[in-house]
Amino acid sequence: MGGNAADKPKLFENGKRIDGRKLDDLRDVKIVARVLNDADGSAYVEWGKNKILAGVYGPSECIPRHDQSLYRSVIKCRYNMAPFSGAEEHGRSGPNRRSKELSKVIREAFENVIISENFPKTQIEIFVEVLQSDGGTRCAALTAAAVALADAGIPMKDLINAVAVCKIDGKMAVDPGKEEDNFGESDMPIAFSPRTGDILLFQMDGLLTREELAEGVKLAKDASAKIRGMQVAAIQQVYSEPREERFLIIRTPGAEAGERNSPG
Amino acid sequence: MAESKIVMPGELLSDKPERISYAYVDKGKTYSTVVGLFFEGKLVPLEGPYEPLPDDLIVGLITEVKFSGYSVDINTAYPAFLSSREIRERYNMGDTIFARITMIDEVRSTELGDAKKLPAGRLVKVSSVKIPRIIGKKNSMIDMLQSATGCQINAGRNGYVWIAGAGNATLVEKAIRTIEAQAHTHGLTDRVSAFLKSNKQ
Repeated sequence: MGGNAADKPKLFENGKRIDGRKLDDLRDVKIVARVLNDADGSAYVEWGKNKILAGVYGPSECIPRHDQSLYRSVIKCRYNMAPFSGAEEHGRSGPNRRSKELSKVIREAFENVIISENFPKTQIEIFVEVLQSDGGTRCAALTAAAVALADAGIPMKDLINAVAVCKIDGKMAVDPGKEEDNFGESDMPIAFSPRTGDILLFQMDGLLTREELAEGVKLAKDASAKIRGMQVAAIQQVYSEPREERFLIIRTPGAEAGERNSPG
Repeated sequence: MAESKIVMPGELLSDKPERISYAYVDKGKTYSTVVGLFFEGKLVPLEGPYEPLPDDLIVGLITEVKFSGYSVDINTAYPAFLSSREIRERYNMGDTIFARITMIDEVRSTELGDAKKLPAGRLVKVSSVKIPRIIGKKNSMIDMLQSATGCQINAGRNGYVWIAGAGNATLVEKAIRTIEAQAHTHGLTDRVSAFLKSNKQ
C-alpha cells in the first residue's frame, strides 16, 4: 500500500512473484541466537533483505517505579528503525508514531506468552533495532525478539513468531517484500503461538473478502511452522557449537570474508 | 546422560499433568517454559535469571551500609538485606560475603544470615544455572580446581564465584569460562582436568 499507482509493477506473472517466488514461499530466513556479549539474550535475523538485531535485558529493577507491579514483571519493548535502514529517508532515529505502534503490538504479543508472575516488581526489556528494512520488519522483529527471550532464559509458554500475508494482483501470497507491500491490494501481519495456534498479533491494511482472509490465515500458519523450525535450530546451534565470544559479523556487499572495513 | 534432550519453550514434556519445575500444565498436558535439558522427568534450564530460594548459599557484594544492616547485591533485580543482628563482624561497601538466604517473601524481598566475610580475591560472574556444573558432584569440580591451582574458590548459587588465595586465579577464571560454555555436555570433568594440566606452567 502507499505506492504511486503509476509506478506499479506486475506483481504476479507466469505463476511467479516479482522476486521469482511462488505464492507460498518465504524469503530466505537466517536466524542466529546469542550474538551480543552484554545482553542477557540476543538474536540476529536476516529475512530477505531485512536485517534485524534483538536484545533482551532482565528481569531487572523496574524503573520508573510508578510502572512497577507487585504481581508481575513489566514488559517493555522498543522497536527502532535505524535512520539508514531504508531506501527512503527515515529522518532522525528515535521513536515516531510508527515505531511506537510496532513497539506496542510486539509487546502485547509477548505479554501473552511470558510468565511474568514469576518476577514481581521487575521489568523485562526487549530492544529491536532494524538495521535494514525491506517490508515485513514487524514480523521479523517479533521473530528475533522471541529467540532473544528464549536465549535469555525467560520463561515463556511458547516460542512465538510472526509472518505477513498479502493480496497481490488478486491472489493471496505469503511474506510480502517491499514492492508487494507498497503496491499490493492488502497486507496482513499475523503472529502465532505455534503450540496452540492462537493469534497474538493481527493487523490488516487494505481490503480482503472473508474467504481471502481465511486463506491468508492458513497460508501464514503454514509459514509460521517453518519459521519455528528455524528458531529452534538457531537456539540449538548455540549449544551444539559453543562459542566463548559472541560477536556478530555483518558482511557488507563487496567486503571479503574476514576483512575488516577500515573507517573513512 | 545419553537420552537427555534439549527442549524449547512450549515443547511437550508429558501427556499427563505433572509437577516439573520450569514447566506448566495446559489442558492436562505438561509443556516446557524454557530452553532446557530434559532427562528422566527433570527439566534443567540452560539459561536464565537467578531465582533465589531459602537456604541457598550465595556470594554477595555489600552495596550499601545502613543503620540496621547492609544492602547486598546477590545477582537479583533487587538487593538482599543482611541485618546487623545476624552477624558479629562489620562490613564496608565493596566487601564480599558468603551467606545463606534465610527468608524470601512473595514479592522476592530477600533476607540473609550466616554471613562470613571473604578474603581478598576476584569475582567472576557466571550464569546461575551453570553453578551446579562448576561445583560438580559432591564438590568434585571445585576440589579439582582448588588442588590444581592452589586457590580458594567459593561458588555462590546466585552465579557469583569468588576466587581467593595465592594460587593461579587467572587459570581458575579461564577454566570457569570453559565450564560455562560447555556446561550442557558430558565428560566435562575430564576435559577440564586436561585443560588444567596443559595450561600449568
